[in-house]
Amino acid sequence: MATTTITKTEPLVGKRIRRREDPRLITGAATYVDDIKLPGMYHAAILRSPHGAARIAALDISRAAAHPGVVAVFTGKDITGVGPVPCGASLPGLRVPVHTILAQDRVYFVGHPVAVVVASDRYIARDGVDLIDVEWDVLPAVSDPEKAIAGDAPAVHPEWPDNIAFHHHQENGNVDDAFAQAEVVVKQRITSQRLIPTAMETRGVVADFQTGDKALTLYSSTQVPHLLRTLIALMLGLPENKTRVVAPEMGGGFGSKLNVYAEEALMGFVAMKIGKPVKWIESRRENYLTTIHGRGHVDYFEIAAKRDGTILGMKLKLIQDIGAYHQLLTPAIPTLSVLMMPGLYKFQNIRAHVVGAFTNCVPTDAYRGAGRPEATHGIERMVDMLAAEIGMDPVEIRLKNFVANEQFPFSTATGLVYDSGNYAAPLMKALDLVDYQGLRAQQKKAREEGRLMGIGISTYGEICAFGPSPATPAGGWESATVKIDPTGKVTVMTGACPHGQGEETTFAQITADELGIPLDDIHVIRGDTAIVQYGIGTFGSRGTAVGGAALYFALQEVKAKLKRYGAMLLESDDVSYQGGQCVCNKTGRTVSLAEMSGASYRAMKLPPNTSPGMQVTNFWEPPNFTFPFGAHIAVTEIDRETGAVQVKRYFAVDDIGNIINPLIVDGQLHGGVAQGLGQALYEQAVYDENAQLVTGELMDYAVPKATMVPWIESDHTVTPSPVNPLGVKGVGEAGTIGCSPAMVNSVVDALRPLGVKHVDMPMTSEKIWRILNSAQA
Amino acid sequence: MKISGAYTLPVNQDRAYACLQDPVLLAQSMPGCDQLVAVGEGEYKMKMKMALAAFSGAFDGKVRITDPDPPASFRLIVEGSGKVGFMKGEGLLRLAPAEAGCEVSFEGEVHVGGTIAAVGQRLIDSTAKMMIKRFFDKLAALAQGDG
Amino acid sequence: MIAQNFDYTAPASLAEALSLLASGEAKPLAGGMSLIPMMKLRLAAPDQVVDLGRIPELNYIRHDGGRVRIGATATHHQVATSTTVRSQCPLLAATAAQIGDVQVRNMGTIGGSVAHADPAADYPAALLALGAEVTVANAGGSRTLSIEDFLVDTFTTALEPGEIITEISVPAGGGSGCHYQKMLQPASGFAIVGIAVQVTASGGVIASARVGVTGLTGKAFRAHGVEAALVGKSAAGIAEAVAGIADGVDANSDIHASAGYRCQMARVHAGRAVAAALAKA
Repeated sequence: MATTTITKTEPLVGKRIRRREDPRLITGAATYVDDIKLPGMYHAAILRSPHGAARIAALDISRAAAHPGVVAVFTGKDITGVGPVPCGASLPGLRVPVHTILAQDRVYFVGHPVAVVVASDRYIARDGVDLIDVEWDVLPAVSDPEKAIAGDAPAVHPEWPDNIAFHHHQENGNVDDAFAQAEVVVKQRITSQRLIPTAMETRGVVADFQTGDKALTLYSSTQVPHLLRTLIALMLGLPENKTRVVAPEMGGGFGSKLNVYAEEALMGFVAMKIGKPVKWIESRRENYLTTIHGRGHVDYFEIAAKRDGTILGMKLKLIQDIGAYHQLLTPAIPTLSVLMMPGLYKFQNIRAHVVGAFTNCVPTDAYRGAGRPEATHGIERMVDMLAAEIGMDPVEIRLKNFVANEQFPFSTATGLVYDSGNYAAPLMKALDLVDYQGLRAQQKKAREEGRLMGIGISTYGEICAFGPSPATPAGGWESATVKIDPTGKVTVMTGACPHGQGEETTFAQITADELGIPLDDIHVIRGDTAIVQYGIGTFGSRGTAVGGAALYFALQEVKAKLKRYGAMLLESDDVSYQGGQCVCNKTGRTVSLAEMSGASYRAMKLPPNTSPGMQVTNFWEPPNFTFPFGAHIAVTEIDRETGAVQVKRYFAVDDIGNIINPLIVDGQLHGGVAQGLGQALYEQAVYDENAQLVTGELMDYAVPKATMVPWIESDHTVTPSPVNPLGVKGVGEAGTIGCSPAMVNSVVDALRPLGVKHVDMPMTSEKIWRILNSAQA
Repeated sequence: MKISGAYTLPVNQDRAYACLQDPVLLAQSMPGCDQLVAVGEGEYKMKMKMALAAFSGAFDGKVRITDPDPPASFRLIVEGSGKVGFMKGEGLLRLAPAEAGCEVSFEGEVHVGGTIAAVGQRLIDSTAKMMIKRFFDKLAALAQGDG
Repeated sequence: MIAQNFDYTAPASLAEALSLLASGEAKPLAGGMSLIPMMKLRLAAPDQVVDLGRIPELNYIRHDGGRVRIGATATHHQVATSTTVRSQCPLLAATAAQIGDVQVRNMGTIGGSVAHADPAADYPAALLALGAEVTVANAGGSRTLSIEDFLVDTFTTALEPGEIITEISVPAGGGSGCHYQKMLQPASGFAIVGIAVQVTASGGVIASARVGVTGLTGKAFRAHGVEAALVGKSAAGIAEAVAGIADGVDANSDIHASAGYRCQMARVHAGRAVAAALAKA
């Protein structure tokens, strides 16, 4: 015990602190799935369908099985007893095809796994795949979701010849009245093309079955280790307490690893069969063919308004390209689009009808934004089109229709309750930053010179921090454990499994501030179900907004317990906790965190009604989603000769609530904008009419490189979320959601003198060139 | 992918038509074709070994000739599959007398699948054109030599 | 992404390499920027690979006998940054600097690229415009061909089995204006069209022009008609002079650019390339 002067340490929350995880990531010292090498480990390679649809007329594995070094070959007939790949979403009338982990007598998409070869090294395993003889009876396939449900397409699943996976309807207010009263109605078909998430690290699994314990350890590049454990245990018929999932270091997920994949169960199955560890690492080609894709919308929007710009209502017919199966959340994604459909606007009359269309393609599912970018793209395009139609400035029409500050909490047309907001603030700030009037003057001048300059605005809203459990398919709470060692070092275990979002740093900042200790005394652990308490995972911009809140409450509990030990040690009933110490308010005497923690483990004496040890776990259920919002402005110029779109300036003003670490927030926004820009300008998963994926490699699928991303100028307004004690909202998806409508609005604005009203993404140079040609003709 | 083109064979139309139906000449003219074995009326089995720059691949395939209307036109269907993928080409070939012999024009579609489709997009068009040109070049030489 | 088994040899001398390649069965490996991905995808499955990357006598850049002579395994980065190349044939340096990305330029070689004869590769446009010569060798000796004779067709060159490129040379003397203008495919970085231009001019009027075109057709070509049309033109006459650059060509078409777009982009970028070259002349 000592008496010291307490110096108030400067809070770390809000500081631009470099990510603590980066040194190991950029020096090659991190351990990814492919870095895991277990003694006696075998390697698996998977034979996949080269056809979009085919019957397996004959499958002969004898040459592969006899190949030196091959230890086992499994096909669809061997996997009886393994449960199907699960769909966690439920909708009334949802048709769920049985998704076995290896194809049975038929394949439904290019890449569909047919057989697995297990060998002593990965080269032999791959050779073995080439030695499997398959006789295919090729069937007609369909890849276009609109054609699939048009009535005369080949049936993806013979039992459902209409290719309809589900219908989902949502309606509010009186839409027919709204449209009857409308002075202006604008209609537009808008597509959000299929995208390939392209995490830098592909998927990979190492499965290790301890035959003595009959326990399985599965190392997998997953965003949701606990959910994966539960579902894999069920699929493989293993007790969950004998199943362990480890998500080691991850090279990105973007939603594509928020799933349970056939290969994860398949490797577990193989390991159990051969009694040895087995590794499978997805190639980029497999990644493109078999890891979920995102988006895949064809949307028919109609917006009704008065001539003064008042929006009266909106209708949407949404065709969602499902792919051949439902993955974990596939059918739920377009329902999020419907929820987000009103954007930041107050109109109450809405009608949405979603049709899920089976196609002979890899399933779609959550990809950065997951349903919200599509919705935001739709509403922000429609508002711009309406403004153009009635000759109103795009800023003015937005300000006119925003939910007003005094209307919060606001019940939206789709049943959400927006808890807080100040929607004009980021827009006004962005306009100020860009000098909007100046830009419009520049544009006028450019037009006089025959140049095509565009200014595109998007004011987006988001649903983040997924979410209240009743509104999510698998529980929406999150967990955190804070344990303080006898020596006073602190370990934080988060159930959220962050995988690149920087929570090793931000959670340490929160902890350091709450406990008043240095960052270096805090260790953040995630991703191992044998160590970390059950959690949900990182997706839907929830890591900090839900996981961080759980941590905050755990820290309050641990502080309270520390204080009880501090009071006991200081023999005082008037103590406070600050600066990593407990101080007696009367005498000024202090005890350190290590002394309090040490005393709790030594337990010579216990405070009243207090247990030994210094470990607290908190499971926190959020009362609501959070609703970030913001304004993005893209200034573009189009090369009249080539059609190339050049982004001259890009501004993002986001309101994501309180900011824990501005540096990490910038990184999240930049990455999000890059992916939004990828959709706007470059990316598209192209299946041909035979359902062959022709953008099957990075040679043909254009993700934006660093040199293709413009300088992003960003700023914030801060409206703290009332939903969680940190006042944070989530930032992971904001950039992606805000970007694509700003880009398209900008390009359409540039082309407006030519009479262009809409351009679908990706806005490739050739597409724009064709528009220019037809407009000038 | 749609393909079309025209090529002039330096022989008369009847001879050109006959050459285009002759499995021996076809086998010798198709780039990489190892053998062409008749398995039915106008139907042949084929083995091909394609090599182009570093690329190499073996294909088993079928050639079918349908709708013969000698010496004016016929429909040609070529299918091949191997470990690196598969292709199917189908087209109508029309023959007409030309100043320098017989003009063979074709119009049809090529479908490609498997690895070659997924990673070779930017090369399929130019490669297909080159293969067709090689075929006609060789056939022209052989047709003349034989005639 | 896992190659088939193959034998690998890394000879230390050219003679040893040529003897290993003499049978025509082995595949020479230079920078590996095309061969290795194809092997990983099993689109190429050579039984034997002979790595030319460790043969010092194939890696050089020198100014000699009125020509800039570049050893086959000089990397794109070496070519792009060589003071000899930059001063004596800046068009080639400018072209090399636009190939692929940093990693590709550090690994890929001029000999490997030219021998691969990809119809969208960058080098051929500049080599055609510069009047390059290609020296090839096998165990029996060597021969030198013009670049036009060397490039036969899509992925097809005059190389006989057992032969490799040993040297590429271009005339020295960088007195004229040049420019390489590339419209790149955003996924791969290959040229949708690439136009390499070298001009001489006096008083803003073009006295001579050489124009190489890549990406547009199955193989790179020299646009002789455009070259003739450019003579005597000033900046104002460029657009008209290059308008025929795609006349009569059988243009490539793929998911990234249709034939019609490619032809138009060839015209646009030819105009821009000539204008930029003339401005520097």
